[in-house]
Amino acid sequence: MMTTATASGTALIEIKDLTVTYRSKGREVRAVEGVSLQVAARQSYGLVGESGSGKSTILRAICDLAPVTGGSIRIAGEALEDPRGTDFSRQVQMVFQDPYASLHPRHTIDRTLSEPLAIHGIKGSDQKVMQALQDVGLPTSFRFRYPHQLSGGQRQRVAIARALMLEPKILLLDEPTSALDASVQAEVLNLLNRLREERGLTFLMVSHDLAVIDHMCDRVLVMQHGRAVEELSRDDLAEAKMTTAYARSLFEASADRMLA
Amino acid sequence: MSLLEVKNLRVTFATETGPVEAVRGVSFSLGRERLGIVGESGSGKTMTGRSVLRLIRPPGRIEADAMSFDGVDLMAASEREMRALRGNRIGMVMQDPKYSLNPVMNVGEQLTEGLRRRDRIGRTEARAKAIAALEAVQIRDPERVMAAYPHELSGGMGQRVMIAMMLIPEPDLLIADEPTSALDVTVQAEVLAILDGLVRDRGMGLIFISHDLRLVGRFCDRILVMYKGKVVEELEAKNLAQAQHPYTQGLLNCLPRIGGARGPLPGLDRSGDWAKEGA
Ligand SMILES: Nc1ncnc2c1ncn2[C@@H]1O[C@H](COP(=O)(O)OP(=O)(O)OP(=O)(O)O)[C@@H](O)[C@H]1O
Ligand SMILES: Nc1ncnc2c1ncn2[C@@H]1O[C@H](COP(=O)(O)OP(=O)(O)OP(=O)(O)O)[C@@H](O)[C@H]1O
Ligand SMILES: [Mg+2]
Ligand SMILES: [Mg+2]
Repeated sequence: MMTTATASGTALIEIKDLTVTYRSKGREVRAVEGVSLQVAARQSYGLVGESGSGKSTILRAICDLAPVTGGSIRIAGEALEDPRGTDFSRQVQMVFQDPYASLHPRHTIDRTLSEPLAIHGIKGSDQKVMQALQDVGLPTSFRFRYPHQLSGGQRQRVAIARALMLEPKILLLDEPTSALDASVQAEVLNLLNRLREERGLTFLMVSHDLAVIDHMCDRVLVMQHGRAVEELSRDDLAEAKMTTAYARSLFEASADRMLA
Repeated sequence: MSLLEVKNLRVTFATETGPVEAVRGVSFSLGRERLGIVGESGSGKTMTGRSVLRLIRPPGRIEADAMSFDGVDLMAASEREMRALRGNRIGMVMQDPKYSLNPVMNVGEQLTEGLRRRDRIGRTEARAKAIAALEAVQIRDPERVMAAYPHELSGGMGQRVMIAMMLIPEPDLLIADEPTSALDVTVQAEVLAILDGLVRDRGMGLIFISHDLRLVGRFCDRILVMYKGKVVEELEAKNLAQAQHPYTQGLLNCLPRIGGARGPLPGLDRSGDWAKEGA
């Protein structure tokens, strides 16, 4: 497989033969099965594929939020500590797929955004909260609202703002713009790309919209039923050079978002 | 006669900093068709949908000159009459399905509850119907999903469970709030085909709220475009590309494309008069 980051040691995120198995009431669910991927520093890597195929689980496994039963995850060449230390949250932040569940219902937006700063003893919280709201296109008057007083897309933007508060190096983005209208989506994608450039960020992002993936990612992994089906470079994707039937079916069902 | 008639709907929330007008005079009528609602994040799409079911919690308040469903005056109906409509003749797929499902009840119980209570059918038959409904929305492993709790589902599985649950009672009107945003394109196509079939074969009315303009453009019959609590444009879905309103035109311009340029996406120019508060 041709990649720009295969020489081991150069990848910032290195996942090898990852297997995740959920157990509930005697049943085993193999959510991820033997998935490997590498993301070089400053790259943006996409995950696409079937609903339920394990995309969110991979991101959660990096944050120690899923039961890893095999394989390894390394960040900058180092195995991750269990549980993840405080350094981890300054280095890696995740935007969850489900912004309602990920925001504390009884905390104001102000508290949600300033808390990570307080935990890490970072000053200038007021200024930073205002800036973060502006960055994601929310009026600063929303500071004192609660999550239930926001629309779905407004909550999603709060979740993105929160992930940016600690200025992490790596962002794990799970469907970050699927609840946003096209204009806010454009603003958020532009913001993410600008930050990636300016701060040298690395992204691992999930989306069902191949046009978003194409716009944002250098490479993409297609998943189905817990397994990696095919990895594609951005050019391979745009030129329909996929080799598996499944990846092709996703591409063909996306005919409405190709450059005419 | 139309199935749903909404005239001058307003939804207002009293907050510490004064009233927030989430919906400001929305009117539309719906036949047995697919009506898309698109629009700005926060423009009142969800509140419009919830108003039809009178599911706005205090301090929110609904006002309307008229709101009727198949001859029933929704503004005058008692809470008991509303409960009888909800989830039976009118279904709503919520934007946050995993949050809207009951977290302490497994999927199977949630799917079969209504069947057993309302349709008085036995456990085995209800279970078979529920499994068939999950299979129809392309759930790979319906037996396992029946026993699962909402937090054990992926985002798109939660959406599909909610769709299955709303379709089991065969509603006359389905309000679907971002029902396919977490589905991959091939599963999405299957789910849309089911909804399409219900509109065509059973004459169900469908309100389809979505941010995916291209999807709404090819799937719906008619589209309402909302901005700041108002409907700013109404058009035939097939004419979406020829939209007149600057907001709609702007939206179409901001979309990324496969194989498109990688530079910053064009933003929406909000300097025009149309974007001013109270416009
Ligand atoms: N806590 C859990 N307990 C048991 N099974 C789980 C749990 N969380 C996820 N799963 C299962 O793991 C599988 C993968 O889920 P995951 O959320 O990673 O999918 P996904 O690819 O993100 O899908 P989507 O695109 O629909 O969000 C699914 O079959 C899901 O039911
Ligand atoms: N409880 C509340 N108190 C105050 N304002 C509220 C409350 N609930 C919703 N709002 C406001 O009402 C407006 C309309 O919300 P609604 O959820 O209908 O938006 P939407 O069009 O569905 O947006 P999205 O596409 O982001 O889901 C939003 O600006 C929101 O901030
Ligand atoms: Mg997911
Ligand atoms: Mg909404």
